[in-house]
Amino acid sequence: MTNREKLALLENMLELEEGELNEEIKLSELENWNSMAKLSLIVLMDDEFGKKLSGEQIRRFETIKDILNFME
Amino acid sequence: MSIGIKAIEYILPEKILTNEELSKIYKDWSAEKILNKTGIASRHIVSKDEHASDLGVKASKKLFEAGVITPGAIDFVILATQSPDYLLPTTSCIIQDKLGIPQTSGALDFNLGCSAYIYGLAMAKSFINTGIAKNVLLIMAETYSKYIHPLDRSVRTIFGDAAAATLICDNDDGHAIGDFDLGTDGSGKNALIIPSGGSRLPKSKKTAKEKEDNGSIRSLDNLYMDGTEVFNFAIRVVPRSIKNILDKHGLTLDDIDLFIFHQANKFILEFLKKKIMIPNEKFYVNMQDIGNTVSASIPIALKRAEEEGRLHKKDKILITGFGVGFSWGSTIITY
Repeated sequence: MTNREKLALLENMLELEEGELNEEIKLSELENWNSMAKLSLIVLMDDEFGKKLSGEQIRRFETIKDILNFME
Repeated sequence: MSIGIKAIEYILPEKILTNEELSKIYKDWSAEKILNKTGIASRHIVSKDEHASDLGVKASKKLFEAGVITPGAIDFVILATQSPDYLLPTTSCIIQDKLGIPQTSGALDFNLGCSAYIYGLAMAKSFINTGIAKNVLLIMAETYSKYIHPLDRSVRTIFGDAAAATLICDNDDGHAIGDFDLGTDGSGKNALIIPSGGSRLPKSKKTAKEKEDNGSIRSLDNLYMDGTEVFNFAIRVVPRSIKNILDKHGLTLDDIDLFIFHQANKFILEFLKKKIMIPNEKFYVNMQDIGNTVSASIPIALKRAEEEGRLHKKDKILITGFGVGFSWGSTIITY
């Protein structure tokens, strides 16, 4: 999966327009990065990548890039 | 003869809290968004002078009024609540007295939340099996709203108050309660907690101090839920518990007529359904107007499924509870 495709998954999850996200964006700056978004991310990781995502891991994410790296 | 659930009744407090009201407080959450994310449109909330025993008494009276049994025939009261009237005495003792249940009956409270119904059925079945009791009144009564800070949107959108009363007895109608799969993981204690008010951290001016956290406000006197931890816990243990309980009975998913999980919220239920691969038509969700009613959610869902004609004689219903503790449990009942 390309980075653009991964970004699209996150944009869809966060209910953002296509192209709104880039790797450098800090999660703390995203208005939609709330508890429901975190649950959605756990589901997305499981559905799309077969990966388990812990609360601890989520707390370590600072930027969009950190999430993209975890998707590998 | 078999030991099973003879009847269920439930009660909801009169006052209703809608998403429209909540969206006025939580500015960036519309009523529609709350419904989409949680599957909840409104919840019932107790008034200030309404308590767990009041709800428990009302739900039990409905059983008596329905003519299922008389108070005089009950010989054990088991109450699950985490919002008791008092720290002591035991709330089920108050209920015994208010309902006019004989003084020769046993009564006890136990402190579990969303898994409580399964544990209550396990105890009721054991008491009857060993001849300790004949007719067990199992009550789930919870008023979490008393613990929730009005500005804590993470839990106020989810939880609703309610009580359910279940009569368990030996019967020849075919109603049966099967084996149990129970589990505990106390390492999750901080994920769903009211930090103060027990002996470890008594309530004080300090614990009442409010703090902002992720758009919600609460103090140590309030209910706190770490949604991601609880979600991860549920997706870790529920599929395993379902497998265990099916194996124990020598059954497969196909043998089950209806799955009724603790009605936590739509998001988590949809995920579990997909993960375990339960067909839509066998998965019961009915919580839009009441929210997550903690221990009462499974008996309320059972009663509603019955009223909708979803339950048929000899149907096998798999029920699973999971939550605070962490604690979980599953069983298979025959209708």
